[in-house]
Amino acid sequence: MERVSKQYPGTLAVDRVDFDVRSGEVHALMGENGAGKSTLMKMLAGSFDDYSGQIYVNGQPVELRSPAQSCDRSIGMVYQELSLAQPISIAENLLVGRLPTRGGGFIDRKALRREARRCLEQVGLAYLDPDTRVESISQHEAQLVEIAKVLGRNPSIVVMDEPTSALSREEVKRLFDMVRALRERGLAIIYISHHLSEIFELADRVTVMRDGKWVDTRSIGEVTPRSLVQMMVGETIEAFYHQREPKLGEVLLKVDRLTRHGFVHDISFELRAGEILGVAGLAGSGRSELARVLCGLDPTHAGDVLLDGTPLPPNDYPRAVANGLVYLSEDRKKEGLFLRLPISRNILSALTARHARLGLYRSGRDATIVAEQMKQLQVVATSSETEVGTLSGGNQQKVLLGKWLAQKPRVLILDEPSRGVDVGAKRLIHEAVIALADRGTAVLLLSSDLPELVGLSDRALILRNGHLIGELNKEQMREESVLLAANGEMGQ
Amino acid sequence: MRSLLSRIGTLGIYGVALLLLAVGRLVSIDFLTVSNMLTVLNGVALLGIVASGMAFVTYSGHMADLSLPAIMAFSGIITVASLPLGLGLALLCGIAAGMSVGGLNGFVVGRFRANPILWTLAVAFFMEGFMRFTWSNNQVYPDITPGSAGHAFIGIFRSDIGPLPLIIVVMLLMLGIGQLIMTQTRFGRESRYIGSSRAAAETSGIHVPRVVMMNFLVAAFAASVAGIFITSMNKLGVFYLGQGYEFQAVTAVVIGGVMLSGGRGNMLGVLGGVLVIGLLTNIMTFMAITSFRQNIVTGIVFIVVVGLQQYRLRVGGRSDQ
Repeated sequence: MERVSKQYPGTLAVDRVDFDVRSGEVHALMGENGAGKSTLMKMLAGSFDDYSGQIYVNGQPVELRSPAQSCDRSIGMVYQELSLAQPISIAENLLVGRLPTRGGGFIDRKALRREARRCLEQVGLAYLDPDTRVESISQHEAQLVEIAKVLGRNPSIVVMDEPTSALSREEVKRLFDMVRALRERGLAIIYISHHLSEIFELADRVTVMRDGKWVDTRSIGEVTPRSLVQMMVGETIEAFYHQREPKLGEVLLKVDRLTRHGFVHDISFELRAGEILGVAGLAGSGRSELARVLCGLDPTHAGDVLLDGTPLPPNDYPRAVANGLVYLSEDRKKEGLFLRLPISRNILSALTARHARLGLYRSGRDATIVAEQMKQLQVVATSSETEVGTLSGGNQQKVLLGKWLAQKPRVLILDEPSRGVDVGAKRLIHEAVIALADRGTAVLLLSSDLPELVGLSDRALILRNGHLIGELNKEQMREESVLLAANGEMGQ
Repeated sequence: MRSLLSRIGTLGIYGVALLLLAVGRLVSIDFLTVSNMLTVLNGVALLGIVASGMAFVTYSGHMADLSLPAIMAFSGIITVASLPLGLGLALLCGIAAGMSVGGLNGFVVGRFRANPILWTLAVAFFMEGFMRFTWSNNQVYPDITPGSAGHAFIGIFRSDIGPLPLIIVVMLLMLGIGQLIMTQTRFGRESRYIGSSRAAAETSGIHVPRVVMMNFLVAAFAASVAGIFITSMNKLGVFYLGQGYEFQAVTAVVIGGVMLSGGRGNMLGVLGGVLVIGLLTNIMTFMAITSFRQNIVTGIVFIVVVGLQQYRLRVGGRSDQ
């Protein structure tokens, strides 16, 4: 891939990246969330028809502007999210799109089963009956079936995007053996993972990306975990240290043995006025789930949430909002914003209760509030009546934050407040959060963006599998953050 | 620019109405007369009342309440059956009966996120069976001896306020009040948020199940009022009164500029939509087009308008992915 770029509305997701993979090697691709790894790989998969730059396969310049073109070039993708159809048999999933037929379009069941069994053997699942439906096999088996499906097409280049996320230790070992075998057979493998240990065990070379740009490509012998982490986060960790002396007030929020079976287990902590408390943990650690249970969006099985010493009724988010406990959702497009409504209506959307008297909505202060938030967060738009859906990601996120700032919340839960936004918007968002905390709001910051978390938080909780497994103060975060990241993410 | 376009969108339906007036004038000399215009208004008054309620269901993103005809029939039957209690109480009973069905709809759709179309279709089916079974497939007649409550009841449809029939005044009132509710109340604002994105409304701290319930209650209230009028007009209550109004009402609401996907439009547009349907029907009657063929035209109008809306959404929809 030579100088390839991909523009999303508002952000340059991949910016003139050079990347190559040789046959018979495992090439690891690393970078933080939003670094552009997945977008780069989607280009290979033919997901975009509007990338720029040139891609070569076997030295031949190729166009990969549709999934079919990519398939024709023997490129296979193993995605993070499973792409199997649940109610359909394993065999049909494996051979979807190339089902063996007899005359008249009837499916040749025998050939189907034989071919499926051959695919399953490749991934060590020979014991599975190809006629089993996908919904009745386990998550990790499904992950392996997914890989079998890709290998069944005899690709010469295989991309694996976090293939181990659903696998147990034993299965990871099996997967690694398989990957090595594929390498022996001369396949080119691109391997995306957050786990440094996997990279050092498996990869021959490693490429690091940051903010959509290529940072470096090295052979694995030339790097250490520490130097890799440095490359991934750049200088940003230091740059994100805000010199802030938090003025801590009284305890505003007390969470006592909060539990939601299967998601959040027995979690207790306190949050003071003026404090920014970080929550770290891998995907699936229960970060967002904790936030949603805490604020009342999801039901609770046990435990209490006390705001100012008064218990909040469980699963009653409107009440929590009325009391000044608000939640900024991680998914701004689906849950956070009303994409078809103008900026003004979005900013005012959480104020309907407060601005109403006897059911009548009093719009007197609307314009002032909207103007104030747009100015503070420097929302770039032609007017306050611009539809939010037409804004860039960064401006959308500012509007979402503005909606909650307009509430003047007492406790603000931020779930990935700067995901997928550009550096400028990120800075503005961070400044607004700090200003808010300085005025006495308690902030709970959930983030997978390590520099953001370390830079903003006064202390941090570490979650794993829904359990609270530790807490770090500011000093510990400074010293250990790199180390933690080197351990293949915090809390692992 | 965009707001200008959307303003034209609301006014556009009145442009269509004016166009139809001109066409009607060409079709017949008798078209553009005061008495014919009153006929048009009279003809759409019931539809306008039902549409004033239906609009809230559509506006809040629930497309349509298909049980409104059943609610109309039910409120009429209950009113007639309660006439021995006196006219005032009977009317209250009828409206309460209709709204109880709406309350059930709102509860199930709001709390359990049932598909509104399928759920209200099932309720309509159930209600028809229930009414036929309970009243043994019979029509229910009020006692209309002069001076009785029944006599007063059948007079409701036939009374005037000043120069206008009562039913036209009620329609205009309900559309007008509906406009105020939609734009000036917390309920109206929250309905729009829910119609734009239910998930986002939830994370904004809006009590979604409660507001959805209110939307279906408002629709049922309007249908109950319409049910009383249609029963009064027919001088009898029976399960099939009101049939067809669900589709006509959605058509009026949608051509009036309320997006079928929710969150857009207002009552002024709905009034325009109702008038357009009334004029269209009236012109077709003048042209001696039978009512079956009129239905065909109404169906085509609906398909074209919804198609245009979807097209506009898709063209402006680059923001959605």
